[in-house]
Amino acid sequence: MTPSLARRLAVLACLALPASAQAAKLGALVSGHDGNPLPNAVVIAVPEDGRLPPLTKVVEVVDQIDKEFVPYVKPIRAGSYVQFPNKDNIRHHVYSFSPAKKFELPLYSGTPSQPVLFDKPGIVKLGCNIHDWMLGYIYVAETPYFGKSAGDGRVQLENLPPGRYRVRVWHPRMQGSEDATVQRVVLQEAAPARVEWKLRLNPEYRPRRAPLPGEPGYR
Amino acid sequence: MLLSTGAHGDWGLDASAGVAYDDNLSNSLDAEDRKADTAAVIDLSGGVHEQLSASTGLGLSLLASSDTFAQYTGLSDIGLGALLQLRTKFGLGAQAPWLAVAAQAMYRNFHYDYLDGWRYEAGITAGKQFGERWALRATVRYDATVTTQTPPPLIPTLPGSPYDIYGWNLGVQGTYWLTGVDLLSLALNRRTGTVTSVSPPDDEIAEYADRAALNTVFGGPEVAYRIFATTLTTTLTWSHSLGERAAINLLYAYSRSRAPNDLGDYYANLINLSLSYTFY
Repeated sequence: MTPSLARRLAVLACLALPASAQAAKLGALVSGHDGNPLPNAVVIAVPEDGRLPPLTKVVEVVDQIDKEFVPYVKPIRAGSYVQFPNKDNIRHHVYSFSPAKKFELPLYSGTPSQPVLFDKPGIVKLGCNIHDWMLGYIYVAETPYFGKSAGDGRVQLENLPPGRYRVRVWHPRMQGSEDATVQRVVLQEAAPARVEWKLRLNPEYRPRRAPLPGEPGYR
Repeated sequence: MLLSTGAHGDWGLDASAGVAYDDNLSNSLDAEDRKADTAAVIDLSGGVHEQLSASTGLGLSLLASSDTFAQYTGLSDIGLGALLQLRTKFGLGAQAPWLAVAAQAMYRNFHYDYLDGWRYEAGITAGKQFGERWALRATVRYDATVTTQTPPPLIPTLPGSPYDIYGWNLGVQGTYWLTGVDLLSLALNRRTGTVTSVSPPDDEIAEYADRAALNTVFGGPEVAYRIFATTLTTTLTWSHSLGERAAINLLYAYSRSRAPNDLGDYYANLINLSLSYTFY
C-alpha cells in the first residue's frame, strides 16, 4: 500500500465513523435568581464557524389539550413546520401577532390539513382567540443545536460537532435580552462542557381562567 | 348544526363558596335600625358554550345559589335560575374589545315567604384589555324582582309587595394585574330605581313610600317600605390565583342610597371572602 492510498483510506475511515464518535456534549443548568430550577428555558448553541448541517423537512407538533398549549414552550429550528392538532372536543382559534411569524388558524377542530412553516428565527407567542388564557411559545432557532430545560432546570445538548460555540438562553419570562446571556464555550469530544445561568424573571400577566366574583358564565 | 365534525359545546362549571357580612341588611335609614349579619354563600354556574363563529359565542348556564344567614334566617334562601349570554369580540387576541349581551332569571326561595320570587337581570357589557395588566368594562343593566306572594297591606293607600323592586344600573369596572397572580378590581355602579327599606313605623318614610307591609324578618314587627332611591356602590375586589383554576377573593363594597327628596340616605358595608374554582 502506498502512503497516498493509506492516507485516503484513513480519511474514508474517519468519515465512516458514526457521528456520535465525533460528537461533543454540552450540559446546561438554568435557574431563577432565587436559585430554584427553571423549566421551559431554551438553550441555544451556535457554532462560531457558522457551519450547520443541512435542513431536512421536520414537522413538529404543538397540541391543544384541556385548553392549554402543550408544550408551553416549543423550540424548533428555522425552516421547520409545526402542526397544531386540537385534542379538545371543542374548537380553538390559534393565532400569533409575533414578527417572527404572523399567522391565524381560524376556528377549527381536529388537525389542520397543512402545518405552518416557521422560517424566520425569533420568538412566536401563541394565543387562542376563544380562550384568552391560553398562551404558548415557539422558539425558532437559527441552529439545530438547542434544548429545553426540564423541571430540574437542566438541558443536555448532545451530538454537537466539536468546536467553538456561542451559547445563550431564553425564557418566556426572563428580564433582559438573550444577547446578554451569551457564553462562549469550546466543545471537545472527551470533555463535556457545562454552562449555567441564573435568570431574573418577570411576572406573567395572563388572562384569568378562574372565575371572578359576580361574573358567572363563560369568560 | 353549530359546529363542525368532532367538536362539541364546551361544558363546564364554576363554583364559589364563601362568607359574606353585611352591616345594613335592612337598608335602614336610621343607625339604630340597622341590622347586620353574616351568611355562608355558595354559588354554582354550569352550562354550555357554543362558539357560533370566530368572533361570537353563545353561552347558556344554569345558576344555583344559597345564602345561609347566621341570625336573620328569614333572609336565607336557595336560588335556581339561568343565564343566557351572547358575547362577540371585535378583532383577534386577548386585547380585542368585546361586547356581551346577557339575560338572567333566578327564582329565589326564602325562609321568609314574602320574599320568594323571581329576580331578572338583562344588560349589555362592553370591555377591553389594555396592555397586559389593565382591563376596563362598562355595563348597562336592568334588574327587577317580582315576588310571588303579596303581603296584606299595612297601610290601605300603599298596597302591593314592597319587595317588588326594579332599577337601572350603570357601571364601570377597572381591573389591574398587581402581580402575575393578583388582580385588583375597582367597580363603580349607579343604580336608579326602587329599594326596600325596613324600619319601625315611620310616617315620614311612609309619605315617600309607594308600597308597605309588615316585616318580621328581623325579629320584632317592623315595616318594609318601598321607596325610590339612587344607590352608588363602590366595590374593591382582590383576587389571588391558587393555581390555574382556583382563586381566593376578598371583596369590599360600600353603597350609599339616597332618596330624591329630604328623606335622607342609608349606607351599607359588605365584605365577602370566597374561594372560586372553575371546571371549564
